[in-house]
Amino acid sequence: MEIQFSQEKLNTVNEIISRYPEGKQKSALLPVLHLAQTSFGGWLDVPVMDYVASLLRVEPIEVYEVASFYSMYNLKPVGKFLFEVCQTGPCMLNGSDEIIAYIKQKLNIAVGETSADGLFTLKTVECLGACGYAPMMQFGKTYREHLTKEKIDSIIEECKSTAN
Amino acid sequence: MSRKILLHNATVPGIRFYDVYRREGGYRSVEKALKMQPADIVEEVKKSGLRGRGGAGFPTGLKWSFIAKPEGVPRHLVCNADESEPGTFKDRYLMEFIPHLLIEGMIVSSYALGSNVSYIYIRGEYDWITDILEEAIAEARKNGWLGKNILGTGFDCEMYVHRGAGAYICGEETALIESLEGKRGNPRIKPPFPAIKGAWDRPTVVNNVETLAAIVPIINEGADAYAKIGIGKSTGTKLMSACGNINKPGVYEIDMTISVEEFIYSDEYCGGIPNGKRLKACIPGGSSVPILPANLLLTTAKGEKRLMNYESLSDGGFTTGTMMGSGGFIVLDEDQCVVKHTYTLARFYRHESCGQCSPCREGTGWMEKILKNIEEGKGQLSDIDLLWDIQRKIEGNTICPLGDAAAWPVAAAIRHFRDEFEWHVLNPEKCRTENYGLAHYADPVYVPAAV
Repeated sequence: MEIQFSQEKLNTVNEIISRYPEGKQKSALLPVLHLAQTSFGGWLDVPVMDYVASLLRVEPIEVYEVASFYSMYNLKPVGKFLFEVCQTGPCMLNGSDEIIAYIKQKLNIAVGETSADGLFTLKTVECLGACGYAPMMQFGKTYREHLTKEKIDSIIEECKSTAN
Repeated sequence: MSRKILLHNATVPGIRFYDVYRREGGYRSVEKALKMQPADIVEEVKKSGLRGRGGAGFPTGLKWSFIAKPEGVPRHLVCNADESEPGTFKDRYLMEFIPHLLIEGMIVSSYALGSNVSYIYIRGEYDWITDILEEAIAEARKNGWLGKNILGTGFDCEMYVHRGAGAYICGEETALIESLEGKRGNPRIKPPFPAIKGAWDRPTVVNNVETLAAIVPIINEGADAYAKIGIGKSTGTKLMSACGNINKPGVYEIDMTISVEEFIYSDEYCGGIPNGKRLKACIPGGSSVPILPANLLLTTAKGEKRLMNYESLSDGGFTTGTMMGSGGFIVLDEDQCVVKHTYTLARFYRHESCGQCSPCREGTGWMEKILKNIEEGKGQLSDIDLLWDIQRKIEGNTICPLGDAAAWPVAAAIRHFRDEFEWHVLNPEKCRTENYGLAHYADPVYVPAAV
């Protein structure tokens, strides 16, 4: 895959840079890494991070150290659909352990693994701010809340039908 | 009675959008404030008694008065929307349903502080809320509330959303500033405080979402009217996010004169505990604040009814009290295991430690491992003292308050539920299949079916 933003995305990058004081274009790093991750296969390979470094005129190490600090940047390939299930206190009180166990069994993967068909990756995460709507998971841009086994089944079906 | 001055129109259809928000009286505070002197707005906020709603409860007006004003150096207001404290989801509600309230409060605050470019630092996972805020900011700009020469007053203000990427530590204001600058979220040593040297070394004020939203009713109704709501140094209203084992989890705006008992059992708020279960324990202000057993939660050590405000919740210090914190109210019923719950919190803090300070980086990992052992029936009695020793050595020995935040839940769990930890150690088989339940209490705490 060629690592190069489209002209439209380059315009977005420049608009993001313009939000910060002149000469402080490094401030755009987090938003530009988000854009890079969604544009280049859902994870940040080293050449992608190097490309971001060149766009923001910073050293590659400045990008690596940020990408490795924040939990939302994936430094390894992930499946087409990423299930990030919260397991912190309030979700645990409402049965997140059972939900995680059910997804593991249903997809036949352990936490951190990707299913053999490359469709699903399961991750456990710490509190996402949905404690009143537990158990929950991050799924793409939004949350899926009040999870039950039935809901997990239908989310998996939904994914499979859009994947085909 | 719940008193609503922030969420009063949260359920009006379409309130998320400018036209409806404006029709319901939105942006009046900007019209009023821009006719005032910035210093008078700061005085008004001081007089209101408003305290930071992110967790620390520091007086907002006082914080504003610290901002340095060196000639020719821009100043910035940054909204802390990095809501990540377990149990807390109030800011999310406010931003998702009434985004213009935050923007309105931020315009007034930006004017008071002299910030011409202000930022909302939002946690990365709130991806869809970022879109909602950006759409609302565009509407506000289109209608002349942002941009150049607002209302012809000569005041310019731009506003941008900066999305984080998953790091609890970025809720700490200096870590947030580092992250805004495109770096790892490692907290800075203070002083200098952000009000002197913040983002890009410029004077910066960082305030929580709810704090900035509260500026709107303070300006509209006046500081005196705001200060009349509540009690003592807990003025105004507070947003509580309630979760755990309750019938009605959700976000509630409370008048800080109600009792904890009323908050848990009244149908107006949490609606009691499901399936007729009894109350075992509660963490009333987000995961960092001390857990309390039911008896101390409902009544202070002096035997008074405990109220939902800063003073009453902290009555008795950490020996018999807790804290208001961020308002993340977590209820545990009789079937819950305090050891397991504490273990999940310890795991959270180990995951979120930035790793800068050794006591926190190492200590949070040790606490997690020891708690996991005890939870699984593999612990020893001496582990409980070891845990106590570790948390004591973390507290107060780190650059930022994450160390304290990690230490307090462990300390409070041992302080109040040591018998449950011991039971786990002494019953290694049983603790995997059974629960200690309410054995802690000589007499189960009396609570009414409804209040």
